[in-house]
Amino acid sequence: MMMKKLGKLVFLSVTVAFVAGAGLADSTLEQFDKIKGRSYHASFYDGESCDVCHETNRATSLPADDACQSCHDLDSLVEATARPAGEEGQNPHDNLHYGRDVPCMECHGEHQARQHMCADCHSFEYPNFKE
Amino acid sequence: MKDKDLNQKDRRAFLLGMGAAGVSAAFAGPVLAASGSEPESKWDREHEIVIIGSGFAGLAAAIQAKKLGAKDVVIYEKMPVLGGNSAINGGLFAAPGTPLQKKEGVTDSADIMAGDQMKAGRGVADEALLKHIASRANEALQLTIDAGAEYFPYLQQLGGHSVPRTYQTTVTSGGGITQPLIKECRRLGVKIVNRAKFEKFVVDEKGAVVGAVINEGYYFGRGRKGKPVRVRSQRGVLIAAGGFASNVGLRSAQDPTLTAEVPSTNIPGATGEALLEMFRVGAVPVHMAFIQTGPWASPDEGGFGYVSNYSIFNFPHSISVDVKTGRRFMDEIADRKTRADAQLARRDDEGNPMPPVTITSYEHAKAHPSVKKVLKYGVGWKFDTLEELAEHHGIPFAELKKQVDQYNTYVKNGVDEQFGKSMEKAKGKFIEAPFVTVRNWPKVHYCHGGAQIDVQARVLDSSTWKPIPGLFAAGEVSGGTHGQSRLGSCSIPDCMVMGMTAAETMMSA
Ligand SMILES: Cc1cc2nc3c(=O)[nH]c(=O)nc-3n(C[C@H](O)[C@H](O)[C@H](O)COP(=O)(O)OP(=O)(O)OC[C@H]3O[C@@H](n4cnc5c(N)ncnc54)[C@H](O)[C@@H]3O)c2cc1C
Repeated sequence: MMMKKLGKLVFLSVTVAFVAGAGLADSTLEQFDKIKGRSYHASFYDGESCDVCHETNRATSLPADDACQSCHDLDSLVEATARPAGEEGQNPHDNLHYGRDVPCMECHGEHQARQHMCADCHSFEYPNFKE
Repeated sequence: MKDKDLNQKDRRAFLLGMGAAGVSAAFAGPVLAASGSEPESKWDREHEIVIIGSGFAGLAAAIQAKKLGAKDVVIYEKMPVLGGNSAINGGLFAAPGTPLQKKEGVTDSADIMAGDQMKAGRGVADEALLKHIASRANEALQLTIDAGAEYFPYLQQLGGHSVPRTYQTTVTSGGGITQPLIKECRRLGVKIVNRAKFEKFVVDEKGAVVGAVINEGYYFGRGRKGKPVRVRSQRGVLIAAGGFASNVGLRSAQDPTLTAEVPSTNIPGATGEALLEMFRVGAVPVHMAFIQTGPWASPDEGGFGYVSNYSIFNFPHSISVDVKTGRRFMDEIADRKTRADAQLARRDDEGNPMPPVTITSYEHAKAHPSVKKVLKYGVGWKFDTLEELAEHHGIPFAELKKQVDQYNTYVKNGVDEQFGKSMEKAKGKFIEAPFVTVRNWPKVHYCHGGAQIDVQARVLDSSTWKPIPGLFAAGEVSGGTHGQSRLGSCSIPDCMVMGMTAAETMMSA
């Protein structure tokens, strides 16, 4: 299983650069057969690649909290979402309340849109935020 | 153990607990059905000390236990993120006899601090606990500094405190304490497991708490209950699970005025089920109906937001006025209950809430970094003239002008003739243009009620009035300490000191 995952990393490194760098403000969720997913994860929706995120291809369990990080590099994400001086603590990927410990799926959803956690108390704008 | 050998949540648990010695024991053993009636010998895991909740109380206890030589400490946290209310808290920490008080020439003592708290508690606070906490607050503060917490180099005087004694983290949040404490826990090898919800105690035939059933892989709010795991604890279980301000059913059962219409500053996970489970095994409920609302909150943002800390800092040199009359209606630094009650009475002619407006000179507001955020995020406003201010908020200008002039004579003379506010921190701080305003309205903030504990953090049994063997509680989940009204910045010392105390009691048994 780990082998299979590794096989996909080559493709994924491209995605990482894209997500971390460019701002893609429009919706990324689109329909793949019976399930919604992110457009830039399109290659996973072949019916056999659920295990990229889920533990098995039956996708009965939620992904591990660090599943996204087998492809997305946390350091680059932290860098990409750095906030200006005086607002350093608002970096969603390294913030003053929870540091770098927020599981990705608390703010992002792959199959359904989510709201970021900060919005519970703050009206920050994250223009590049992908639900 | 290799990463791939772990199942999903264990892999995460492993990552969180990295640096821990001897993790393997935690993952060994078959999973058995959970039920209080099972023989207690059927365990899935075993630890020396089991702590429920990763806020100030749980983290302080874990660090203290490690310092006292504990080899195997685990913290179970039901939420995906660590730190509970402590992580979103305002970072305000009261302690007497601190280095900053010495520097600023403030005379204070544990007795004076406990005395202020007794007064706010309206005669029903627990003096022994308050004195114990105040006498060790400075030590607790030092523990956070040793772990890396950073504080502003000045003190604040919060509502109900007779002297300035409150430190604040430079990030103006409890996250500035929980983050260093979590790091320190990891460094010391404390295991921290998120998405792990405490369900119930395992009690032996003598009535001692010997373990707990934990649902691992619990996903808060997503309908995934997780897998029950029976955890044995050699030295007992510490409940550090916080308050129940987010449990609308439970809080409005205690105080019917606190319906779903009253917002809260708490994390959604502050739901109190661990407290109810303590009652089930015999703990004494105390002061459950004393639920505090924060008079510095704003109706213009969610939760604690930015206005809360802004207001706490600025109230001493600000005036709060009724929109309808343009007049002050309270001592802006009275204790919380006094102020929240006064605010809730501000209503329009139909009885709808009419949040009062707090007015501060920009000159003095800007001494605190939160003013920038308040203005930037549109939850506060800046005006060059009093006319503009009055017009924006719909306050009768002539009355407001009269009120401001009148108040400025109090600043000059050092005596508030309207409400007897302490003008100590308002010296020379006239209300002058340009102005900053925010609107304030109370939010449910703190639960004074909980399980009764003694000064050793042992939970008392309602049938024997003796400690329930193996059961400890610390922090907001314990009840009675603060009586009817907790003073601001007095929960952090409470949670920290009682967490430390619980660890000491557990380690000395
Ligand atoms: C927004 C805000 C600002 C505040 N500001 C201040 C301030 O500046 N100064 C001050 O002194 N006080 C302040 N307070 C009060 C203070 O922060 C809290 O009283 C304190 O953080 C409580 O700490 P605790 O360790 O008892 O609980 P918490 O920090 O709430 O931690 C309890 C943890 O237990 C977890 N838990 C609950 N049930 C279970 C279960 N069944 N199984 C597993 N885990 C469970 C929770 O998810 C939570 O993470 C503030 C409170 C809030 C909400």
